[in-house]
Amino acid sequence: MEQGSEVFRALADPTRRALLDSLFSRDGQTLNELCEKFPEMTRFGVMKHLSVLADANLVVTARQGRTKRHYLNPVPIGQVANRWISKYAARFTAALVALDDQVITDQAKEKLRRAQPA
Amino acid sequence: MSLPAHVYQVYIAASPDQVWAAITESEWTRRYFHTTSFVEPPGRGKSYRTVTADGRPAIEGMIEEMEPPAEGSPGRFVQTWHTLYDAALKREPPSRVEWTIENAGDGLTRVRLVHSDFDQSPLTWENVRDGWVWILDSMKTLLETGEPLPPVRANEGVAEVVSS
Repeated sequence: MEQGSEVFRALADPTRRALLDSLFSRDGQTLNELCEKFPEMTRFGVMKHLSVLADANLVVTARQGRTKRHYLNPVPIGQVANRWISKYAARFTAALVALDDQVITDQAKEKLRRAQPA
Repeated sequence: MSLPAHVYQVYIAASPDQVWAAITESEWTRRYFHTTSFVEPPGRGKSYRTVTADGRPAIEGMIEEMEPPAEGSPGRFVQTWHTLYDAALKREPPSRVEWTIENAGDGLTRVRLVHSDFDQSPLTWENVRDGWVWILDSMKTLLETGEPLPPVRANEGVAEVVSS
């Protein structure tokens, strides 16, 4: 489940971030493929990290025939970004648009004023 | 090497029926899916097309499965996906989008979205990759709070081409 704190806890570990990086560059890897990428870790260690990532909903598994594949699920990270980054970005954008409107209005007024016969 | 599927999963504090409606009914989709709605109500085995609020074509395809969620069985909505909102993407063949909607207990519904069959559609693969994240978060936000996410700026995901 993507409780915010579980996401941050899962991302706090460099090995788990490396696992996500590996899935980002090639999504849908099997446990064997991931183990090959991390020879310094035991199979059990990789499984344990994957299960923490799955609990945080950052990794989702899907079966393809007899093969179990692991996919990076970016939705919880997107939620974090959308909650904070976009919120400020939207406000910033709205402020810029309002400023732009104001400038245009002022210019139009100025134009009108000049066009008025003295 | 073939292009892998995109797999997304989100938990939403709403009933499976509410989530099903949000995916299949235009009154809902137009509020979180970049204003798009179904031209005709979708039906199993029928073709479909979605358009933006100002009438521009967005997506077309076939509804291959349409099974609403029921007690003990997940909802399934499977659609082929041919992008119409961008000329380059439009030249690529349809890919496939599969929604699975399942009761996850504790008042939560698990939504899984698998977008696959990209082997001839590398541009679509790249284009929808981030786009779905925003759509799913916006759908969740709408169902949980009554309001979708604020509209995205022109350089984000699907909105880029929809609004240009």
